[in-house]
Amino acid sequence: MARKTVLIDTSLCTGCKACSVACKAWNELPAEKTQLLTSYQTQSAFTTKTWTYMTFVEKYEDQKMNWLMRKAQCFHCADPACMKACSSNAITKTESGYVVIDQEKCIGCGYCVENCPFGVPKVDLIKKKSYKCTGCIDRVENNLLPACVHTCQPGALSFGERDAMLAQAKKRLVEVQKTHPKAQLYGENEMGGMTYLYLLLDSPEIYDLPVKPTVPLSLTLWKDVIRPVGTVAVGGAAAAVVLGVFANLFRGNYGNSDNKEGGRD
Amino acid sequence: MALKMETRNQMPKRIIEDKVLRFSAGERLSHWVHAISFFVLLFTGLGVLSTSFQPAMAIFGGIQVAQLIHRIAAVFFVVVVGLMFFVGNPRYHWRWLKFVFSFKKSDWQHVCAFPKEFFGGHGNYPEQEKYNGGEKINSLITIFGTVFITLSGVVMWFSSSFPPALVRWAYPVHDLSMFIMTAAAIGHIYLGLLHPDSRAAMSGMINGYVSTKFARAHHREWYERLKKEQSMNEQKNV
Ligand code: HEM
Ligand code: SF4
Ligand code: SF4
Repeated sequence: MARKTVLIDTSLCTGCKACSVACKAWNELPAEKTQLLTSYQTQSAFTTKTWTYMTFVEKYEDQKMNWLMRKAQCFHCADPACMKACSSNAITKTESGYVVIDQEKCIGCGYCVENCPFGVPKVDLIKKKSYKCTGCIDRVENNLLPACVHTCQPGALSFGERDAMLAQAKKRLVEVQKTHPKAQLYGENEMGGMTYLYLLLDSPEIYDLPVKPTVPLSLTLWKDVIRPVGTVAVGGAAAAVVLGVFANLFRGNYGNSDNKEGGRD
Repeated sequence: MALKMETRNQMPKRIIEDKVLRFSAGERLSHWVHAISFFVLLFTGLGVLSTSFQPAMAIFGGIQVAQLIHRIAAVFFVVVVGLMFFVGNPRYHWRWLKFVFSFKKSDWQHVCAFPKEFFGGHGNYPEQEKYNGGEKINSLITIFGTVFITLSGVVMWFSSSFPPALVRWAYPVHDLSMFIMTAAAIGHIYLGLLHPDSRAAMSGMINGYVSTKFARAHHREWYERLKKEQSMNEQKNV
């Protein structure tokens, strides 16, 4: 399946939260007790049972309030840090661009939790399994729209082939910039290009998003340098020992009576 | 008798007939607790590190149990040896630290000649004190490795109490320490068990004593010092 994309056009979002309800319904996730945190926002982080939620920012400029809303979920990165970090090959990326956790393989080590630049995956401490948005891969592969896209009334969410969605996003951006000059796309190239592409009304910082999200340097160092070099070093030590035993055999050192008693005087 | 004096933290008579006391009971306890817990940690850690080791965790009853054992072994690895420094057998433990942190020219000379010895040849180097240059390096790797692997391990264990930026760095630190310590341990085991010339040292870690012949051949400066100290003590006590 070719690369898919969900475009989140925040200029059309009304903050109704139907997407988060649709997500709970399709994925059979129980509701959690929440409370009002700021503006209309009731959640500030993902949980094992909340894979998408709405953020609200009230930004005042020139006596005017700009109400910035964003549906937060896993971005399904093309270069996913979570997948690189996973200890158990439990995270895979599909050709269509979805990053999916296989709970059968997951051991709950939490490496994905710590390495995702957006704090998306969460480990259930009882089940010892990691959970996050699946992108409704089970629906998409059966030619259904993702549950959130399917439910969105004002058309803030749309789903399609990546090229088509990118073209649509760019067209909308020109339009939106007329009223919101700081509007920009987020996810076209970030993390290799994200399956969940945003049209934001302001800079990412305002939304509490990293401006230049990257695979952590420590993760690259860990998996691409220390692992291979360390493996070779341990292999080298073992090889030296085998060589040492043979060298001593060859020199006849094991039969040497001096050695048995602890050395030459 | 010697044991009783050790537990009272006194210096027992070191040279008895053809044997020299090399390690106190406390030092031996620390060594073996550290060694055994190291291998338990390594084995259970590898189950997390790689999916090719993961099936082997079935011997514990699965990866979840292995992860738990990793944490339990970590406590022994750190706490038992730590306590030996403060209540168990402080005198000998701190003296070991003092020895291995004083790295002298003669130690370098031993290290340079050492590759030859490792492969069964004979290198030339000055007479050595209680620990030769190679042993000091092995000790230093153990000390620093333990500190780094413990600090990073604690951050990984209680990751939700630390900022992600710190936890992310704990992983490479934990792995790097593991690789260095494992490589050192492989060489260390070879020298203790398989190397014809140096394996005579093994008894020192079992019953505490090595032969005077071994002491003279490998650690003459140490042996001569003990002999001098012992004869001075005997004169004093007369
Ligand atoms: C001394 C205190 C130590 C603590 C507190 C500690 C703790 C941890 C923790 C929490 C993990 C994360 C994996 C999991 O959730 O089970 C881990 C992984 C690991 N530990 Fe330790 N550990 C310690 C010492 C050691 C030692 C001495 C070794 C081996 C020589 C070791 C080898 C490993 C390895 C290989 C991993 C897997 C790392 C990876 O996935 O790349 N650990 N340790
Ligand atoms: S947003 Fe985080 S969890 Fe989602 S694919 Fe990217 S790195 Fe993985
Ligand atoms: S918690 Fe699960 S999915 Fe996340 S890195 Fe560990 S094994 Fe992989």
